[in-house]
Amino acid sequence: MKKTIYILSIISLLFSCTKEVEIEIPGYKEQLVIDGSIETGQPPIVLLTKSSDVYSPTDLSTFFNSFVSGAQISVSNGTTTFDLIEICSDNIPPGSEALVSELLGVSIDDLANFHICGYTSFDPSIFGEIGKTYTLSVIFEGQTYTAETKIEQPNPLTNVFWKPDGDLTTHGFSWATLADPPNQFDAYKWEVKRINLDIDGNPMDANFDEPFGPVFDDKFFDGMTFDFFYDNPFGYEDGVLDDYAGLYELGDTIVIKFSKIDENVYEFLEKKYIQLSTAGNPFATPTNIPNNISGDALGIWAGYSPTFDTLICQP
Amino acid sequence: MKKLLCIIFILIGLQSFGQERSTISGYVTDSRSGESIIGVKVYIPTLKKGVITNNYGFYSLTVESGKYTIEYRIAGQKTESIDVDLTSDLRFDYEFGGQYQNVEEVIVNAKAEENIRSTKVGQMELDIDEIKKLPAFLGEVDIIKTIQLLPGVSSAAEGGQGFYVRGGGPDQNLVLLDEAIVYNASHLFGFFSVFNADAVKSVNLIKGSMPANFGGRTSSVLQVNMNEGNKKKFGVKGGIGAVSSRLTIEGPLKKDKGSFIVSARRTYLDVIMKAAIPDDSPFAGSSYFFYDLNLKMNYEISKKDKIYLSGYYGKDEFSFGNTDDNFQVDMPWGNGIGALRWNHIFSSKLFMNVSATMTDYQFSFTSSQDEFRFKLNSGIRDWGGKVDFTFFPNSRHKIKYGLDYIYHTFTPMSVSAENDETVFDTGVAQELTNHESAAYLLDEFDLTENIRINAGLRYSMFQHVGPFTRYVNGGIGQPDTTINFKKGELIQFYHGLEPRVSMRWMLPGKSSIKAGYSFNYQYVQLTSLSAVSLPTDIWYPSTNVAKPQKGWQASLGYFKNLLNNKFETSVEVYYKGMNNLIEFEEGALPADNVNDNTDNLLVFGKGWSYGVELFIKKKVGKLTGWVGYTWSKTERQFDDLNEGNPFPAKYDRRHDLSVVGTYKLSEKWLFSAAFIFATGNTLTLPSSWYVQDQDLLFNYGQRNSTRMADYHRLDLSATCYGKKYKEVLDLETGETKKVKKKMISSIAFSIYNVYNRANPYFLYVDNDGDFLEGDFKIAVKQVTLFPIIPSVTWNFEF
Repeated sequence: MKKTIYILSIISLLFSCTKEVEIEIPGYKEQLVIDGSIETGQPPIVLLTKSSDVYSPTDLSTFFNSFVSGAQISVSNGTTTFDLIEICSDNIPPGSEALVSELLGVSIDDLANFHICGYTSFDPSIFGEIGKTYTLSVIFEGQTYTAETKIEQPNPLTNVFWKPDGDLTTHGFSWATLADPPNQFDAYKWEVKRINLDIDGNPMDANFDEPFGPVFDDKFFDGMTFDFFYDNPFGYEDGVLDDYAGLYELGDTIVIKFSKIDENVYEFLEKKYIQLSTAGNPFATPTNIPNNISGDALGIWAGYSPTFDTLICQP
Repeated sequence: MKKLLCIIFILIGLQSFGQERSTISGYVTDSRSGESIIGVKVYIPTLKKGVITNNYGFYSLTVESGKYTIEYRIAGQKTESIDVDLTSDLRFDYEFGGQYQNVEEVIVNAKAEENIRSTKVGQMELDIDEIKKLPAFLGEVDIIKTIQLLPGVSSAAEGGQGFYVRGGGPDQNLVLLDEAIVYNASHLFGFFSVFNADAVKSVNLIKGSMPANFGGRTSSVLQVNMNEGNKKKFGVKGGIGAVSSRLTIEGPLKKDKGSFIVSARRTYLDVIMKAAIPDDSPFAGSSYFFYDLNLKMNYEISKKDKIYLSGYYGKDEFSFGNTDDNFQVDMPWGNGIGALRWNHIFSSKLFMNVSATMTDYQFSFTSSQDEFRFKLNSGIRDWGGKVDFTFFPNSRHKIKYGLDYIYHTFTPMSVSAENDETVFDTGVAQELTNHESAAYLLDEFDLTENIRINAGLRYSMFQHVGPFTRYVNGGIGQPDTTINFKKGELIQFYHGLEPRVSMRWMLPGKSSIKAGYSFNYQYVQLTSLSAVSLPTDIWYPSTNVAKPQKGWQASLGYFKNLLNNKFETSVEVYYKGMNNLIEFEEGALPADNVNDNTDNLLVFGKGWSYGVELFIKKKVGKLTGWVGYTWSKTERQFDDLNEGNPFPAKYDRRHDLSVVGTYKLSEKWLFSAAFIFATGNTLTLPSSWYVQDQDLLFNYGQRNSTRMADYHRLDLSATCYGKKYKEVLDLETGETKKVKKKMISSIAFSIYNVYNRANPYFLYVDNDGDFLEGDFKIAVKQVTLFPIIPSVTWNFEF
């Protein structure tokens, strides 16, 4: 009897029960979603979609059908305003596959399989320049939405290195040294891809990916020079064994894309990644992600100022 | 103020002239334990005048000189009486129970007809023996859980901390243990309260108009008084349960002069977890336990002086580790509380209590993963003093006045973080020091035979003094600036008058109407980042940014006792308004406190609550218990939240029903049951999703617009009592006689959540799968904490 009570007690305390429920969630309203970005040396890209009811289907066709056509979009660099043209991944101008693949974050092979539409301009005059502020204007269904972002002065990493983790000799994290400028707000984003070749002779990763918590500001280390590390965001399906999840293998060659971002973009990305890691968690405050867009729209207009480092993983 | 004082003294004066008057005063104690008894009615039937013993068992009754029969009445017990010839002031300490040997239970709280006669609107009293008879979660008798069964009081949720009174938050309740403030009255995320029932003498909840001698909170007062210990003989009692055990030792320091009681309790979930988690498991070493210790001593220095020393120390230790991820979290928290009190009788008409109290609440959180280490400390330390006088000028007046002072030291958040050899700049550890003080005066007086009024004023003051660093936000792109205040430098001073008034109008047929109004300032508030109350919630005092909370409440009730006081019934309505409530701004994170002041992250708003409460209680007979029902509505409005629109509070409950019953089948068996129904809590869930950079994100709709499923639960218990007496042969007379056994024991079987209702603890939106792979799915999931849980506890006493 006593044993039974012990077992029941510990089960109840340690293992709560979870089940799916149908519950009414009031308050849905359809909103325009603006997902726009511009980075140094790249054209602006703006994807327009609509938000969906939380209980609506989440399959790809629903997402593809949510792309919005017919919007009037322009970007200004402070002196000149450029109108953006609408392109779709399955119908892109010949010769621009690589650029569109990079802009949309979809591999060239997959471009034709997806129906992802966006607005851009191939005029080099509007490609991102350091220190410039870019203003986005979206006119859709009679509503005007505007946003502003800046491509900040970059702050390249002082050093990048790899070292084995703990007792391991063949696997470890990617490390970097950052010298943060004093007495100013600085925020950064870390992205990475492995470029060493797989067995088919292709680079291991086609596009950049983000590790856990890829953005940070200098609240804790304003003006300090310090070492920090990031884990490997690629998983089992990308050739990383579960036992070594989060680690790079001796001999991996990785490209680190380290971008400076402005305060509004940081606010958005910080809350976005917190939501991604805590969504539904009762111990976190339910929070809508703030944005820099005027008008009742969701999303972000983000300027990035990246620098790139290549790291060969060896001691 | 001056006018009110004049009126009071004129009224006192008018009634003091006339015939020669004498006063009978003293303590009422239990004849077997020597403990003072709270709430005994001392009554002269021929004059129809009486008083009630106070929190220390003291009474004072002034009447015309003469010969009287004085009754000492305790509800549910036989009335005892004495004849006195009252020619001059008489000190008369009365030992209750001496006239009737069949009084078996030790009496600690005994208010008769107090529900209809008292001026206290919304006052609820619970007999500790009554609480002990109810079904107990995992066999652990819980005062807070029983309080939550009363109308107007609700729990946050299963597993939630604290209790909510008439739409107020858990921080709006003044919880006092022997007059010392308890900031966190919960163990294990609210599953158990810090009050060990074996160490508790009485529980008194004022949820309506609180008298002027209480302050600092806007909702309610929960007074918990600890047992004093047996002055006549040594005794031991305890209980062994499935997850915890307790032991209490009490006895005289000097017979009839002083006594002590020590009560200890510990859970052994850590031992169970150690056995359940294999050594090679990545979770090995994860554990939880709590322990607490209550200590009280009292000594009668002279007929006029008594001192009491009370102490409580309790600690929770939670640790969780996952060696696979090199992850470790340690979270200890606990309360230390001390109170030294001195009762002095200046005269038969003037009673004084002086208290010196100390409260220390500390919370710590340490986590490490790989080479990253993070530590957070938060805490409160209070040193307090109170001088309280009770003056009984005549049988129609009871005047209380006094001073109250607390020196607070708050550490809302002190953080340190390291990564490998890099020590991060986490700013200056915030510490806030405050002086909180008050002076009060109240008079409870009979305006007419049937109308009694309790009118009082409280003047409260609050000072925030240095050292302190104020961070001033420079805005986007601009650096923050700081202002440093020196030690002792006055940063902010708040003060205000708090009027309190309540009235009782006796009607024929043992019924009364009561009305009350109170206005209160609250200078410390609880801030919570999560939707669930946790020990991580931060107490924060008023500053020049966070203004004191203001609360007012008006209530009206009709009280009636039926069938010769067998049934107590009441209907009460209330409206409560609150200003300067605080919440964290949307999107605030714990890390935002670093290099900043917590109050810079707060937003301010108002709230209101109204409702009706129905209560019927059967006090005597084989079947006892109560039914309580509350209909209420509680809303909040913050300019910076929910687009400025009003929203329901998370504990807004339209319906709340409790049915509690105890049935004494025989001397051996006692059964009890408790049924609870409550409208589900509100919460904020995402109403839509959208995609940004191939990530699916949520957008939340109106705040607290989703309501969880209703909460309901039935608990049952059966207690089997061993024989209290044995028959022995008297060798002299040859007759058998009953002798009390040296050890008395009982076994309590209880079942929590009998029909295994899956009540919601919280809901979350779960997303699973890969969006680009096309197998992505969103679902709302409900987490339930406790299924049906049987338990058994063996209790003993010798």
